[in-house]
Amino acid sequence: MRKRTLGWPLGLVAVLALALVAAGCGGGGSSSGNTTTTSGASASGGTLRMAIGSEPPSLDPGLATDTTSALVVGNINTPIVRLGKAPNLAPEPALAKSWDVNGANITLHLRDDVKWTDGTTVTADDVVWSWLRTISPQLGADYAYQFYGIKGAEEYNSCKPSASNQQCDTLKGKVAISAPDATTVKVQLTSAQPWFIQQLSHTSFIPANKAAVTKWGEKWTDPGHNVSDGPFTLKTWKHDASLTLVKNPDYYDAASVKLDTIEMQIIPEGATAEQAFNSGGVEVNETGWPPSDTPRIKGTPAYKQFPSLGIYYYGFNTKVITDPNQRKAMALAIDRKAIVDHITQTGQVPATAFSPEGIPGAATINKDAFLTPTANMDEAMKYWNKVQNPVKSINLVFNNAPGHKEIATAVQAQWKKLGMTVTLKQLDWPQFLKFLGPPPDASVGVYRNGWIADFPDDINFLSIFECGSGNNNTNWCNKSFDALLKQATAEPDQAKRYDLYQQAEAMLSGPSGDMPIAPIYWYTFAYQVAPNVTGWNTNPMDTIDLTKVGVS
Amino acid sequence: MLKFVVRRVLWTIPIILLVIFMTFLMMRAIKGSPFRKSERAVPPAVLANLNRKFGLDKPWYQQYFTYVKDVATLDLGPSLVLRNQDVNSIVKEHFPVSAELGGLAMLLAIVVGIPLGILAALRANTVTDYVLMLFANLGFAVPSFLVATLFIYFFAAKWGFFPTNGWDTWSSKVLPVVALSLGPLTYFARIVRGQMLETLQQDYVRTAKAKGLRWKRIVTVHVLRNSLIPAVTAAGPLLGFLVTGSFIIENIFAIPGIGRYYVTSVSGRDYSTVMGITVLLAILIIVANMVVDILYGYLDPRTRDQRT
Repeated sequence: MRKRTLGWPLGLVAVLALALVAAGCGGGGSSSGNTTTTSGASASGGTLRMAIGSEPPSLDPGLATDTTSALVVGNINTPIVRLGKAPNLAPEPALAKSWDVNGANITLHLRDDVKWTDGTTVTADDVVWSWLRTISPQLGADYAYQFYGIKGAEEYNSCKPSASNQQCDTLKGKVAISAPDATTVKVQLTSAQPWFIQQLSHTSFIPANKAAVTKWGEKWTDPGHNVSDGPFTLKTWKHDASLTLVKNPDYYDAASVKLDTIEMQIIPEGATAEQAFNSGGVEVNETGWPPSDTPRIKGTPAYKQFPSLGIYYYGFNTKVITDPNQRKAMALAIDRKAIVDHITQTGQVPATAFSPEGIPGAATINKDAFLTPTANMDEAMKYWNKVQNPVKSINLVFNNAPGHKEIATAVQAQWKKLGMTVTLKQLDWPQFLKFLGPPPDASVGVYRNGWIADFPDDINFLSIFECGSGNNNTNWCNKSFDALLKQATAEPDQAKRYDLYQQAEAMLSGPSGDMPIAPIYWYTFAYQVAPNVTGWNTNPMDTIDLTKVGVS
Repeated sequence: MLKFVVRRVLWTIPIILLVIFMTFLMMRAIKGSPFRKSERAVPPAVLANLNRKFGLDKPWYQQYFTYVKDVATLDLGPSLVLRNQDVNSIVKEHFPVSAELGGLAMLLAIVVGIPLGILAALRANTVTDYVLMLFANLGFAVPSFLVATLFIYFFAAKWGFFPTNGWDTWSSKVLPVVALSLGPLTYFARIVRGQMLETLQQDYVRTAKAKGLRWKRIVTVHVLRNSLIPAVTAAGPLLGFLVTGSFIIENIFAIPGIGRYYVTSVSGRDYSTVMGITVLLAILIIVANMVVDILYGYLDPRTRDQRT
């Protein structure tokens, strides 16, 4: 009888299976996964491991635009100023130990004891050189526009460099920043801008080291080449995998820095980041988690939530939905509380106006807010009935990131009660932006958008809807609104300025306003933070100060 | 054989040119700009500066010729999105990771999948066969991201056998390799089983048995060689897919591979990175297909004479 042996196929499978299990058990516990920190026995010190959501596109202060890059850049460098506690977010000394504001003339007095990691001292020349570099057309910095408040900056940034003409060099000389001595920086603005010092807390104003940039060119941000002046230094950067920061012993305030090492693991997938946190692989989850897990995570002590200066809103294409009464009806019909309680669920605040709750002056600016957190169908119908020819059928356009579709579906149902038929159109990011314009595509009736503050002053929110603004996708243009903002910009008295903001906000979201937008909610930041981590902080501008964080 | 290889290599050049052209057209057709990353509008001056810096203000044919020249000189240019990195270093750093992931997954799929298929065929219509085919069908049907997430939840988070993410230690490679290999593994098992069953019915097998050859020799020397042909056909393109199409696994396990870069660079409109990786993928598939054709010659002498 022929003997059939299981023979080598099954044998091979068995051996392989054993090998896999052996490798797993052998390597499992000791890797970067499951054990707690191995370094630092001291009371301060220690290693913090955090999960971050993406590879930072650039660690050059002139080029960093996203929050991940800002997190690293802001902690390996010393910013010009830092922002104090909410709600005022007043500027606090950092690289600049004091400043004088005289209308449009600003003088910064720098510390003389901040050192670059190559041993030299940070001087006013470094600041001037860096700012001119970021404004230069050759660098192609996205955030060059942050400097447009400085006299001559916009002209220099807009020139076309060419070998034949010296126009750009001339314009460079006309940018009104100078360093009369090693610790003084003088700036002349295009007009008085009361928020300018607070704006200097942004990472784009952080000086870069001229020697490193000149020597290494595009590669100057790599570890080993990178020269910085902050509480931490960049030790390793494994692209798309992890970054390691270590404490800088030569930082001028090194004594107050608690951590020795920060290990940032790049985990883009929320589900994986959540598991990494739950299994003890990281102490902080900055990436996030799948929205469906929010109710469960909210109930754990690891959940930490912070208010943010940002808004999620729906904008109307006022050339499609032309009657302000219809827009008011639609804004009143949205049940913001339901969206926040059942869809987004991370403590967002239903927005009753465009200016966010945490913005300095919000109490004055939003005092006559007439939109309500829940839907107000009675009021909505009153406005609806005033509309001569209401537009019944529209497109609602949004991009394909998590959460937008659910919110759009909820609002679609809410607007159905008014008798409208809303078609949802989900697009990928670049196409969505194309549809937005400005001006928005004619097929867009309503679009989803968001805005996070560049600096903590309401002008940053209100100026979105100026007539010529590149961020105004509503086709709404109101000269009186623009005039109000212009007046506010020139107003030195804070209380009077907030009054002017209040009038402008009323034109946006008040009962006698035009309602070019329907605010939905004000953002929050949410994290998972392990109980042995102290001092975790995020300010409303999404700045995380890692010098205050410790691991016990 | 040499003439065959040389001819194939020469054919690669027009194919690559066509791939560049099609990729170029498609990336332009889907519109969008690499420089608008957030809701914030980019001021026209800034946009003009960026377009000028990366040569996107030039006419389309000039841009195309620049790309062709870049590929020819193997200098794929800077990344438009990752401002301090160039495509060459991105590829150099991340392609080996994906290659290792894909290669190990392929190895596992071959080493486990083919024997499973053989075993199932030899034990056709017995309990062994049913169990193996149930496993194969399940493994093929369940999507890889579900498998990956379940693996992380149970084996990494709950029971702590392996780390949840990364690609640095031996143990961190186990879960992603197994998760990625499941699809090809079960595919190989099924087609090898099918082909073997068919081959076992052939007359020459009966002749061999009648001649008195040992069963083991019949299977390994005669039957196996003919049964592996469809598996080899699939292996070529599958290798290409595994190396660059492992985006889902790389994303879920936070593995710094090229698959992830590929997909994010398309949605980010990072033209130079997309071009560089597409060309790489095209060359990879061409080479894989060439290897497959050579293997054919070994497995099936009939094709040798037809090949030019």
